[in-house]
Amino acid sequence: MEQSMTPAESLKLIERMIGQAKRSFSRMSFYFLLWGVLLIAAMIAAYLLRTHGSPGMQGIPWGVAGILGGVIGSIHGAREGRKEEVVNPMDRIVGWVWATFVITMIIMIVCSVKSGMDPGANITLLTGMPTFLTGQIMRFRPLILGGILFWVVGVGMHFTQDAALLVGLYCGAMVFGYIVPGILLKRKEDVLRTA
Amino acid sequence: MSFAPLDPLLHNQLRLAVVSLLVGVESAEFNFILEKTGATRGNLSVQLTKLKEAGYIAVTKSYRDNYPLTTCKLAAKGLRAFEKYVEAIQGYLAS
Repeated sequence: MEQSMTPAESLKLIERMIGQAKRSFSRMSFYFLLWGVLLIAAMIAAYLLRTHGSPGMQGIPWGVAGILGGVIGSIHGAREGRKEEVVNPMDRIVGWVWATFVITMIIMIVCSVKSGMDPGANITLLTGMPTFLTGQIMRFRPLILGGILFWVVGVGMHFTQDAALLVGLYCGAMVFGYIVPGILLKRKEDVLRTA
Repeated sequence: MSFAPLDPLLHNQLRLAVVSLLVGVESAEFNFILEKTGATRGNLSVQLTKLKEAGYIAVTKSYRDNYPLTTCKLAAKGLRAFEKYVEAIQGYLAS
């Protein structure tokens, strides 16, 4: 490996290696799939409780989903973190983006409930931000489109009071904003790990 | 026209690949560098030692699940040397 390189070859090598480093994100697909499934289940359960005479209990599925997602996500994150062979600064940025989202979401839920408002539409709008940003940081188009979808659906949810339609809109946004990008991201991660 | 001399430590395929890789990450384990550079274990060890002795990278040895773990991180001196190297090759290419 002591062969000499031309400046052009050096530059090419630098670009290739920096590109490799940039693509070495931690695996994130698990979180999109986990939260996508949990939040769809919570939305459907809350709808069933509301329409089957227990409207006072409709917050329970959301609480259960939040706790389950937090616990499973933390255990998975701790396990995977130990296996990571590289620490990419972009992972940290993505982590802060999602932490900011969670803090803002909790504040929004508390404020909305206190004001007697349903936080669903605004939280859907807010979900567009970290999804879109993660897609941009990772240069992964399905997440970018997922973020845009959350914005569109979030606006749409402000213009309807129909409970079934709201469930459909929210679940659709989760399927195409979290689950489908999560499946595509998992495929990409598997290919990168075996390349 | 005079050209800036190229840092002989960086003007080597494997060492340049290692430093370029470390520029884009906070830290990387030996196996990650091995996989991305396609080098052999022995050669990579030798080149990492050279970079470490020059103060270009910091190498931390630890254990994970009872197996030795080598983690590399670019040092400030290594980053400065890399930036100067890139400037120099850009100078060559612009001429």
